[in-house]
Amino acid sequence: MFAGGLFLIFAILAVLGAVGLILFRHPMNGAMSFVVTLISLAGLYALLSAKLIFALQLIVYAGAIMSMIVFIIMFLNIQDEDLPKEENRLLYTLGGGVVVLPIGLFLAKIVRSLPEHSTSIVGNNFGGAKEVGQLLFREWLVPFEIISLLLLVSLIGAVILAGKRGIKR
Amino acid sequence: MMHSYLYLSIILFCLGIVGIVARRNVFTVFMSVELMLNAANLVFIAFSRMHESMEGHVLAMMVMAVAAAEAALALAVVILLHKHRSKLDTNVFSLLKG
Amino acid sequence: MEQSVNYLGLIPLFPLLGAVFIGLLHVFTCNRIKVAEKIYGLLACIGPVLSFVLALKVWVALRAMPEASRLLVYNAFTWFSVGDLHVNMGFLGDPLSCLMLLFVTFVGSLIHIYSIGYMGGDKSYGKFFAYMNLFLGCMIILVLGDGPVVMFIGWEGVGLCSYLLISYYNEDRENVLAGNKAFIVNRIGDLGFVLGMCFLFWGIGASGFDYLSLKANVHNLEPAIALTVCLLLFIGATGKSAQIPLYVWLPDAMAGPTPVSALIHAATMVTAGVYMVARFSFLYAGIEIAGNIIAWVGILTALLAAIFGMFQDDIKKILAYSTVSQLGYMFAGVGVAAYSAGIFHVFTHAFFKALLFLGAGSVIYALHHEQNIWKMGGLKAKMPKTYITMLIGSLALAGCPPFSGFFSKDEILYSALATGHFGIWAIGLLVAGMTAYYTFRMIFVVFHGEPRDVEAYEHAQESPAVMTVPLIILAVGALFAGFLNLPSIFGGDQIISHWLAPSLTEQHAPSSVGLEMFVIAASVIAFAIGIKIAYNRFAHGAAEPSFKGFASFAYHKFYVDELYDRVIVRPYKAIGAVIWNMIEPNVTDAPVKSVSKLYMLLGAAFKILQVGYVRVYAIYMVLGLSIMSLVLSQSLN
Repeated sequence: MFAGGLFLIFAILAVLGAVGLILFRHPMNGAMSFVVTLISLAGLYALLSAKLIFALQLIVYAGAIMSMIVFIIMFLNIQDEDLPKEENRLLYTLGGGVVVLPIGLFLAKIVRSLPEHSTSIVGNNFGGAKEVGQLLFREWLVPFEIISLLLLVSLIGAVILAGKRGIKR
Repeated sequence: MMHSYLYLSIILFCLGIVGIVARRNVFTVFMSVELMLNAANLVFIAFSRMHESMEGHVLAMMVMAVAAAEAALALAVVILLHKHRSKLDTNVFSLLKG
Repeated sequence: MEQSVNYLGLIPLFPLLGAVFIGLLHVFTCNRIKVAEKIYGLLACIGPVLSFVLALKVWVALRAMPEASRLLVYNAFTWFSVGDLHVNMGFLGDPLSCLMLLFVTFVGSLIHIYSIGYMGGDKSYGKFFAYMNLFLGCMIILVLGDGPVVMFIGWEGVGLCSYLLISYYNEDRENVLAGNKAFIVNRIGDLGFVLGMCFLFWGIGASGFDYLSLKANVHNLEPAIALTVCLLLFIGATGKSAQIPLYVWLPDAMAGPTPVSALIHAATMVTAGVYMVARFSFLYAGIEIAGNIIAWVGILTALLAAIFGMFQDDIKKILAYSTVSQLGYMFAGVGVAAYSAGIFHVFTHAFFKALLFLGAGSVIYALHHEQNIWKMGGLKAKMPKTYITMLIGSLALAGCPPFSGFFSKDEILYSALATGHFGIWAIGLLVAGMTAYYTFRMIFVVFHGEPRDVEAYEHAQESPAVMTVPLIILAVGALFAGFLNLPSIFGGDQIISHWLAPSLTEQHAPSSVGLEMFVIAASVIAFAIGIKIAYNRFAHGAAEPSFKGFASFAYHKFYVDELYDRVIVRPYKAIGAVIWNMIEPNVTDAPVKSVSKLYMLLGAAFKILQVGYVRVYAIYMVLGLSIMSLVLSQSLN
């Protein structure tokens, strides 16, 4: 019961944040509403008994990734004339919604065919760091190592791309 | 109850697609991609709860790691584009025109 | 019954190998090393002489065999087998082909030796002899072939060599055009020949397509098809042997060197048509109407060519028209079913016509390539050997007894009259008189009287021995060859007729002494009248006449060439132009081009989609996804 209400609040916040992201003109505003979405999603993870993921969402996504995006937005010193003139973005959004509608309906139809399940909170032996760690370092060891390689590649790439090599105007 | 989580993720995913298609600002486009990734994450966690297995959590972690890596590189490219043309409009770059 | 001998295959092989060898030698050395003419001459004469020796061997072998089964065969390999048609590269040595082979190789060898002297100093000496050897090889294949297909190989080969040799002096466009004319007109005849072969095969070819099998099966052939075959094959002969209407190439062919004219257009190639009719005598003998058509075409050609010959001023053209005229006689002979008479005339004509051409070549050589008789005169003092031999040749041509031409021509005229062809005999008699007239017109103008071009006359001298010796040898042949077929009233045995009898399907006309005497008397009177008129007009230094009226018309060859040009050549070229300008671009090129244009249009259409904006590409992806999910949700129902 309590969980149901919380779910509703978080869900509405998430959707509102997403709508704000796609409708605000200045990216800073969009970033802020996106942060709202991310934090609501973290709450949703908690409602699904995903303790570690809830924490990681807040730390990594809302904390690291979004702060990096906001930092870059501020770093580039965007003035109003740098932003593209998107007068009829509402129209495009509605049009996009129409095009995307079949996709959503199709996915909804698939979901309808799945069996229902309860989402009561599970306290022990589910969703914690210990459980995730045990899975991660046993069956999922190779993907784990590969992900670390991926992060290394991305690190090197970012350094090279934004480095001091001669990029002429 | 489980279905509601899934419907929510569908809504967020579709909103992400609309954001990519309808907006020209590079930051908005990029953040819409992140939105779609988050919607996928939600699905993973929901199904993990449904099957009472931890695999979904692990996958969600992988997705987050990938998103972080991709964010770093995408933002580096955005900085380069801004240095090149001082415009943040995806419509400006049309060298692929055939 | 028939013996298989290997050396039969060597007879055409030697000249062909010679051609290849000399040709390669010329190609590889003509711009670098100077190969002595003697070497080319020696190499060139080896092939023909060896072939002549082997021909003698064939003759000796055939004489040793009993008369009924004189057949030597040689099957080199099976060329191809398609359905019912089995064609071997086979050779047949029977009396007819042996006779043809003998004089072809003999005269061929003599002319090769003559050419060593005549072509001296020419810059493509080796090329000439390569072509000549190639020609001789093809002619031998034609004569020795054991079936129409192998004969056709030789038929086409000699046509090709004729073209190559007529256009030999190829810096001058006129010569090349003459070669083209010869080849194209020949080709028209060849179409008839091929169609004839096809009909023949269709009729009786299933049980073997060589002469022996065809001869055995000819009674199975339906008369309608047999007539068609006869006429179509004769069309081929009109092309190759220069009869009406396809004779127009032979006078132009005089653009080639004189030995070429002697060998190809007098002695050998042009007689291929007569040989072909004689070879197919088993077919022609049963169909009298075909023979009549052949005889009339032949004798009319003889008349027409004789008219033209009386007014020409180029020594070689006179001899060319004379050749056409004599070929007409030969066809008249084989047309009235006197096949051995026709072949006998081929035999004697080879000797005296080659002699006349080589003699003319000797005169031309001495006067530094002057060919107009109105610039010659009085040469008998300066070139006695040439004069005597040419006189012998002319007497043979004109039909003076006891020279060879008299006997062979007389045989034909007698056969015509004895089988009831009075018209043919009458025209033949008239042509005999005209032949005497134009031949002696040439002799008197060139060798008698005063020289018309004194400077050239001063420089003239008798030709070297390498050229006069063949002349003498041929003169002996022209003198005495007639005695090989002496009719019985003169006490002879008709040796050649008897020799040829196994190869030909012939019924000899009944021999009546009275009729024979009448024909001989008429021929001699015609000859005498002709030579008398020529003597009166030309023996005492006549000047070049200017022609008016009928003479001018005849001098311009009745404008036949111009007529062909207007009626056939220009419309044909116009049709070609129409096809080239209108049909080709629209009918044959258009579908191909429009396919490629279609692809270009499609490409241009798809190019519109490539806008270059990544956002638009993302929109395409989403659209695709949307449509896909529409379709899938339908199927999920």
